[in-house]
Amino acid sequence: MSVSLEHYLVVSAVLFGIGLWIALAKRNAIIILMGIELMLNAVNLTLVAFNRFVTLADGRPALAGHVFVIFVITVAAAEAAVALALAVSVYRTRSTVDIEQIDLLKR
Amino acid sequence: MNPDYSLLIPEYILAVWAALVVAVDVMMPKLRRDVPAYLAALGALAAGIASVLYIDVNKGFEAIPGVTIMHVDDYTTYMRVLLCGIAVFILLMSAQFVRMRLSHAGEYSAIVLVATLGGMLMVEGTELITSWIALELLSFCFYTLVSFARRELRSNEAGLKYMLLGAFSTALFLYGLSLIYGVTGTTTYDGIAAALSNRGEDLTLALVVGFVFIIAGLGFKVAAVPFHMYTPDAYQGAPLPITAMLSTTSKAAAFALFFRLFTTAFLPAHEEWKWMIALIAAVTMMWGNLVALQQTNLRRLFAYSSIGQVGFMLIAVAAATQDAGSSLLFHMAGYAVTNLAAFTIIVVFFNREGSDEIADLAGLAERQPFLALAMVTALFSLAGMPLFAGFFTKFMLFVSGWDAGLEWLSGVAVVASLISLYYYLMVIRQMYVIAPRVPGRFRTPALLWGVIAVLVVGVFFLGIWPAPLLDAADTAAAFLFRA
Repeated sequence: MSVSLEHYLVVSAVLFGIGLWIALAKRNAIIILMGIELMLNAVNLTLVAFNRFVTLADGRPALAGHVFVIFVITVAAAEAAVALALAVSVYRTRSTVDIEQIDLLKR
Repeated sequence: MNPDYSLLIPEYILAVWAALVVAVDVMMPKLRRDVPAYLAALGALAAGIASVLYIDVNKGFEAIPGVTIMHVDDYTTYMRVLLCGIAVFILLMSAQFVRMRLSHAGEYSAIVLVATLGGMLMVEGTELITSWIALELLSFCFYTLVSFARRELRSNEAGLKYMLLGAFSTALFLYGLSLIYGVTGTTTYDGIAAALSNRGEDLTLALVVGFVFIIAGLGFKVAAVPFHMYTPDAYQGAPLPITAMLSTTSKAAAFALFFRLFTTAFLPAHEEWKWMIALIAAVTMMWGNLVALQQTNLRRLFAYSSIGQVGFMLIAVAAATQDAGSSLLFHMAGYAVTNLAAFTIIVVFFNREGSDEIADLAGLAERQPFLALAMVTALFSLAGMPLFAGFFTKFMLFVSGWDAGLEWLSGVAVVASLISLYYYLMVIRQMYVIAPRVPGRFRTPALLWGVIAVLVVGVFFLGIWPAPLLDAADTAAAFLFRA
C-alpha cells in the first residue's frame, strides 16, 4: 500500500488539532507558543503534501506550495523571536508568564 | 518581462523614509523627541501624494511571468491614499505623546510608517503568499507598537496577549489557505476564481472547512466576535496613538484584504461563505454594542464601539456586490476620519490629565468647550446621526446589504445602531451635564487644535456633501468587479 494524499492530510489535521488544543487549554505563554508552532508545522505538512500531488494544467511541477512553506518557516521564526522578547519583558516585572495571573487589564 | 517596479514607488518612499527617520534619530541624539514624528508625517504625506499619481493606472505586478502578485488599480489607490492619510494624523497626534511618555522616538515613528507600508501591500496583494506576508508585516509592527511603552506593565501585558492571539489566528488563517491551495492548485486570486468556477461537487467539504479557517483568521485581525477577546485589552494597554491606529489602519487594511480576497478569488463560491460572514456580522454588531454599554474606560468603550463598527462593515463583505464595495470603502473613510478626531481629542485630554476614564471627562464642556464640542461631533458621527459622516456611510452600507438579499441583517444593524446611540450619549452627558471634578480651564495645543478642527470639518464635509468621495469609492470598487 502506498502512502496517499489522505494519509498526509490526516496526520497534519491531527497535528493541527493537538496544537490547537495546547494553544487553547494551556496557561503558560511559552507552552501556548509551542502549540502555535505545532499548528504552523501542520500547515507546512499540508502544503508540502498538496504540492506533491497537485499538477499544473500545462504539466509543469507545482512550486507555490514549496515557496509558501519557506515563507511560513521564516515568519514562524520571527514570530517566536518577538513573542519570546515580549514574554521576557513581562517576566521581568511580574516574575510569571502564566496568562491567568497577568490580568491588570480587566475591568 | 521584468516586473514593473515603478508601480511600487509609494511603498519604496515609506520604506526608505522609515530607515531615514531611524538614522536621523541615531545620528542626532540631542534631537527633541517629537521631531521624528513630524519628520515621519512628512514621509507619509509624500507617499500619499505619490499614490495619487496612480489614479486610472490598472496594471499587475508580475513576479514571474503569468503570476500577478500585486495589482495597482483605483481600489489600491483609494486605500493607499486613505492609509497614508491616517498615518499622517496618527504621527501628528503621537508627537507630543511620544515626547512626554515614550523612549525610542525614532523607532516608534519608523514602525508606524512600516505598518502603513504593510497595510498598503495587503490592499494590493492578489496572491495568497504576498497578501499573507503583508498581513504579517502589519501585525508584527502592531505587536511591537502595542508593547512600546517598555516600562509600563499594562503595555507589555497587552502586547503579549495581542501577540499570542495574533500568532494563533495566523495559524488558523494559514491552515485555511493551505486547504484552498490544495483544492484549487494555485495561489493567485485569478487562478483560484477560475478553479472555483469549474470545480466538481466533491470538493465542497474541503472548501467549506478552508473558508471557516480563513474567516476565523481574518476575523481575529478585524476583531469580529467571537474572535475579539484581545481587542479591549490591546486598546487599553497600548500607547494611546497606537490605539487610534489599531482602530483605523489595522481595520481598514484588513477589510481591504478581506474584501478583495473574497470578491475576486472566492466569489464563485459565494453561497458557501455568505451565511458564515452574515452570521458573524450579526453577532458582532449586537455583542460589541451591548457590551459597550457597561464600559467605564474610554478606550475600552471605543474598543467595543469599533467591534460594533466591524459588524457593520462585515455586511458589505457578506453582500459582496459592487455597491457593497463602494459603501464599504466610503464607510471606512468616514469611520477613519471620525475615529481619528475622537482619538486626537482623547490624546489631548490624556496628555493633560493622564486619565482615560469616562468619569474624568466630567464637565469638559466647561473646562475646554472646543474639545467637548469636537467630541460631540465625533460621537454623533459614530452613532450615525444625520448631517454627520456616519449617517450617510452607514445608510449606504445597510442599503447595499438589503439589496443583496440580506434584509434581516440590515434590520439587525439598525437596531444595533440605535443601541450604540445610548452609550455615546452617556459620554456626552458626562461632558455637558456633570459638574467638573477638577476645576479650571485648559488650552488645547495649537497644532492639535488644528488637527482636530480639520478632522471635524472632514466629518461635516462627508456628512453634508458626500458626492466626491462616494464617486471615488464607486470607481475604486468597480475595479474589483470589472470582469
